[in-house]
Amino acid sequence: MKSRSSIEIRRCRPLLGTFVDIACKGSPSDIGCAFAAIGKVHRLMSFHDPTSDVARMNRNAARRSVKVHPWTWDVLKCAQEFSRKSDGVFDITMARQLVKWDYLPRPNKRFCGDGSWRDIILDDKYVVRFRRPLVVDLGGIAKGYAVDRAVEALKDNGITAGIVNAGGDLRIFGSVSHLVHVRHPAEPARVAVAVRLRERAMATSGIYFRRRKFGGKHVGPLLDGRTSQSGRELISVSVAAAECMVADALTKIVFTLREKAADLLAQYGADALLLERDGAPSWIFDSLCDTRVPTRFA
Amino acid sequence: MKSEFVFIALPACALIAPSAFAVQYLTVEQAQRAIFPGKTFTAAPVKLTSVQRKAIEQASGVRVLHDEQQVWRVSGGGWFIVDEVVGKHEYITYAAGLAADGSVKQIEIMDYRETYGGQIRDQKWRAQFVGKTSKSTLKLDSDIKNISGATLSCRHITDGVKRLLAFYEIAIKH
Repeated sequence: MKSRSSIEIRRCRPLLGTFVDIACKGSPSDIGCAFAAIGKVHRLMSFHDPTSDVARMNRNAARRSVKVHPWTWDVLKCAQEFSRKSDGVFDITMARQLVKWDYLPRPNKRFCGDGSWRDIILDDKYVVRFRRPLVVDLGGIAKGYAVDRAVEALKDNGITAGIVNAGGDLRIFGSVSHLVHVRHPAEPARVAVAVRLRERAMATSGIYFRRRKFGGKHVGPLLDGRTSQSGRELISVSVAAAECMVADALTKIVFTLREKAADLLAQYGADALLLERDGAPSWIFDSLCDTRVPTRFA
Repeated sequence: MKSEFVFIALPACALIAPSAFAVQYLTVEQAQRAIFPGKTFTAAPVKLTSVQRKAIEQASGVRVLHDEQQVWRVSGGGWFIVDEVVGKHEYITYAAGLAADGSVKQIEIMDYRETYGGQIRDQKWRAQFVGKTSKSTLKLDSDIKNISGATLSCRHITDGVKRLLAFYEIAIKH
């Protein structure tokens, strides 16, 4: 391990459609490596960039095999696992609904109205096929993955402690604990609660920044894959887990299933915090205690 | 792996008092070093004419809020620009490094501020930040270092960079 002067540095760059904030004790070049990892995830998994793996799959995978980068493969595998385990609540093919509601641009001319995660075939390593035309978006999981890759890059450079925060999906590593404030779901410019975390990732999902009207009804970008309906409630869900990708995906599932996701949370050693519209925590799941009894408020 | 997942209830005043979440990442000099290490910088501020201003708005589709733009010429080629954008919740100063051919080399956020309330478009509120935040009379929540929440879009920065690229073409390229 390289020896370094321990100056705390903190940098922020616009990536993944949000602000990515990285802080650690190390040098600017260490942080540069971490941003490079995030930039790579951005290039591979952007819905908008026509050269990304995601765009190439959406254009071609219904007609022929599309080879993807091992990182994209990791994320697709993980997404499918969560789809299976949540019985389709988590479904990356729900992007077609997001296109319909103008959250995402139309990716191809032969835009298709149905299909699900079951139509994605991942049999041979790094080769993706769709059984029918699909629209896939990794927006619900790739940010978490990017955070994990950035943490890995920092650790590879010999950094022993730090924090990577990609627009609210974050991971803290090292022996120091950090306080993380969670936005108020109805008034997101305020904070509702604070959580102390150590050696842990946390992601939060809510629709407060992105709710809009469609056909006279409010819609949001978080959907239940079983029904294609969007959650409309101004609640927020935070999940803490060892890996940020896992935390990121689980927030979407808990957003829909609430308490019914308890078994799944326990499987991943994850904790969850659900804030109601008024900012009050209505449900807390602590996997370490393996109980649904709320609190442990300090 | 042991985690501490302990919730801390916040004092009621934290929810009521108007305050702001703010991080100062880089000063101008630090941002220069971060984007163009080892280079020297010559200030070359630009004041836009109304014709240039309209041309930039037309080319980028983004409104120009300030006629004056802080620009530095970088030794060995390239440009360093400090710019700011105002969103619904956020007020951000950032630096853009352009390579000699005008392509974006690197973007670094210098100051990020988020309001707890509707002050963001208020000139007086924004004026408080001129000349750095440390002596600001505004109550800053200095203990808020990390926020988790639904993703806040960086669209305003994306638009700002679009505007800067048009600015480069129209006001500094020649």
